[in-house]
Amino acid sequence: MPLLEVINLKKIYTTRFGGTPVQALTNVSFSIEQGEYVAIMGESGSGKTTLLNIIAALDKPTAGDVLLNGKSITSIGEREISAFRRDNLGFVFQDFNLLDTFSIEDNILLPLVLAGKRYDEMIGRLKAIAEKLKISDILMKYPYEVSGGQKQRAAVARALITRPQLILADEPTGLLDSHTTEGLLKLFAEINDDGQTILMVTHSIKAASHAKRVLFIKDGEVYHQLYKASLSDEQMYQRISDTLTMIATGGARGE
Amino acid sequence: MSRSLYGRLAVNNIKKNAQAYIPYILTCIGIIAMFYNMAFLTTAKDLGSISGSSAIRNILSFGEAIIGIFSVIFLFYTNSFLIKRRKKEFGLFNILGMEKKHIARIMFYETLCIAIISLGIGIGAGILFSKLIILLLFKIISFKAAFGFEVPLTAVSTTAMLFIAIFAVNLIYNIYQVHLSKPIELLKGGDVGEKEPKTKWLTAIIGTICLGLGYYIALTIEAPLDALNIFFIAVVLVIIGTYCLFTAGSIAVLKMLRKNKRYYYKPEHFVSVSGMIYRMKQNAVGLANICILSTAVIVMLAITFSTYIGMEDILRTRFPRNIILTMGGVSEEQVATLDDIIEKQTAAAGVIPKNTVRCRFVDFYTIQNGATFTAEQMINYYANNRAVIYFVLLDDYNKMEGKTASLKSDEALLYVVHGDIPADTISFDGLELSIKERLKSFDAADTIGDRLVDSYFIVVDSMDTINRVYDSMNGNGTGTLEFSYYYGFDVAGGKSVQSTLTASLNKAIKDAGIDIYAECVEGAKDDFYATYGGLFFLGLFLGILFIAATVLIIYYKQIAEGYDDKKRFEIMQKVGMSRDEIKKSIRSQVLSVFFLPLIAAAIHVAFASKIMTKLLFVLNLTNISLFAACTAAIIVIFTAFYIIVYALTARTYYKIVS
Repeated sequence: MPLLEVINLKKIYTTRFGGTPVQALTNVSFSIEQGEYVAIMGESGSGKTTLLNIIAALDKPTAGDVLLNGKSITSIGEREISAFRRDNLGFVFQDFNLLDTFSIEDNILLPLVLAGKRYDEMIGRLKAIAEKLKISDILMKYPYEVSGGQKQRAAVARALITRPQLILADEPTGLLDSHTTEGLLKLFAEINDDGQTILMVTHSIKAASHAKRVLFIKDGEVYHQLYKASLSDEQMYQRISDTLTMIATGGARGE
Repeated sequence: MSRSLYGRLAVNNIKKNAQAYIPYILTCIGIIAMFYNMAFLTTAKDLGSISGSSAIRNILSFGEAIIGIFSVIFLFYTNSFLIKRRKKEFGLFNILGMEKKHIARIMFYETLCIAIISLGIGIGAGILFSKLIILLLFKIISFKAAFGFEVPLTAVSTTAMLFIAIFAVNLIYNIYQVHLSKPIELLKGGDVGEKEPKTKWLTAIIGTICLGLGYYIALTIEAPLDALNIFFIAVVLVIIGTYCLFTAGSIAVLKMLRKNKRYYYKPEHFVSVSGMIYRMKQNAVGLANICILSTAVIVMLAITFSTYIGMEDILRTRFPRNIILTMGGVSEEQVATLDDIIEKQTAAAGVIPKNTVRCRFVDFYTIQNGATFTAEQMINYYANNRAVIYFVLLDDYNKMEGKTASLKSDEALLYVVHGDIPADTISFDGLELSIKERLKSFDAADTIGDRLVDSYFIVVDSMDTINRVYDSMNGNGTGTLEFSYYYGFDVAGGKSVQSTLTASLNKAIKDAGIDIYAECVEGAKDDFYATYGGLFFLGLFLGILFIAATVLIIYYKQIAEGYDDKKRFEIMQKVGMSRDEIKKSIRSQVLSVFFLPLIAAAIHVAFASKIMTKLLFVLNLTNISLFAACTAAIIVIFTAFYIIVYALTARTYYKIVS
């Protein structure tokens, strides 16, 4: 059984005063196995973020379903949804979304505190993760005191600390410089090697080239997909690049 | 750029920032209207024609000054809040190519626009309400209302000048603020200040000490008139303490909570404690302001309200009987003459005196030390251990009370009006009298005895004994002692009966060549109503003003916080906090921010209550339960009002956050 199954997802946004409805997702289906590292690519407005929000249970689809471990997440009630999200999903955002009122340590611990874990257990998990992500020395600092790369590492630590089934990353490298981006992508690969399933939405070819599989979305549908298999990062980069060109020119290559 | 463009931009800016500017303009209008009314009342001709008007005028000009000072501080505060929020906008103008002098010009037009609207509507509303206000004042101080409507030009010009000056100062401040900053700072203007506040232990300790000292003074004060002097010191200490504790103390406490890991890392404390640290950093001064304003409003209203409500009590304390005659240095013949005059005049007026109190006594001002008394030339109400001793002759006592007591020359009967003599022998700087009996009741003593200091009535066998006491205390035998005489009685009948009788008494006394006046309660009533009614009116007026100010501070705080918190709560929701948890957390934080000042104010009032009762004592109000009831009623009304404001603003807050 796949870890995540997205079945015929459809999302139509209607404006409140009867404006023209906007179809963000037409018909999206795919599945992700345990331990996969999948990137979803697409241009601005292709429906990437809508898709991610629905998988994250932050938004409801108009039609279709999302199954995590065979369980439909669209049918979870408002009451349990937060706990579900906390226990099963980890988030990494483009703008880090760290709270400026908390130290880095408290930011990372936030989901565990909300889950009502014991302090000793929290600290144990924190130590292990901080060491792995090399952020042990900035734990007591505040978000405004550390660099963008360190912030994003802290955000990754916050996503990992709940030991989620699936990590959802939304343009995680969007605000980072090339050097820091490289570091973060390496980190993602390492985490994935440890068995962590990752779903990343991006329009950076470089970021996508580190993933094991890349899905392309256009006009609210899965248009194409690429498997990395044994390709190197560079080869993968080239193939993604070619695919994007093809999509952009409307598939009319060779004219 | 053409002039009309600046004007249009200015008007547009105000419209765009309506959420912040409408309350500001409404406040300006309200304050201007109130100030105009106060200025109007101090100059109103209607008031000039009635008795007691100078007392009222003094009270009202005091009020005018307070409102004036308050307007300056408050409008400056509100303005600085507004300009902080708008820095981003001005930064954008700057980046889009507008020079700072252009921005200054836009600001000038904005201020002009606001000033014209506020002054126009404010003074207009003030004039409209002025008749209502003066009628209310007259009702409160029991004056007959006069017909007619007046608009004193001095009031209009004072108001206009004061507020034009305030607007000008604010404009200069705003221009200076924009001038100082760089465009990029202007753009970020709203976002600075996210650093975690430091714990200022020294400030917290100073605050605790100041507050403790202020409370201690308030609690230990004994001499009533001391209260007036020391009250001021206590108030200053408590104000300093409040500011220090709100700013530093709150953060110190919250950080200590955060240090306690097992407490802090709980879902219900985690978000609230860390959120409160930032909230307190940004709001501490505002909350301290609210706390002090609330305390001031409650104290002021409690005192003025209870004196107004307790007017009859006050009059009864000041005039234990309807008609009173007091005379010092009275001879035996004069006493007889006075008794005779009173008897004849009351009979002539056809009234029967009731509850008559008559007493001849010699009073000494002394310093009391246990059961030992030493001489004091003047009674000093500011000092402790001061006591008045009234000596009454045994014959007079027996006659008054219908007793047949007898005393030896070294014996005395003691009646304690207020205070305590903890021994059976009283020493007057060496001369001792033994207490034969402690009297249970003594009507005249209750009526005459001084209430502000300890006072004792001592009945002795003869004038000779009083002389010996006097000599012992003053160390020479040259002084001659004189009796004082007190004559008070009630009459059935209202103002006219009392006034006529008092007039005829005074005439007869003058004809007899005795130099005293009879006073009647009805004659004093007008003055009392003018004074206490005026104070109550002022209290009500200032109370409304202060409450309105509090409301506005809270409103602005909520808006500012709402925008800050919006993003925070979005993140928390993504990380796995449910809507309910967020709502609960918001509610607990907003509640603490809201009710912390109110609770602190209630505690201040509780500690101040002793000093307040002492002050009321000076004002002749001895009915403590009335005062307690008034204070409680005012706190309840104030709280109810506060809760309504909380509910209204909390709704605005939720709207912004979600």
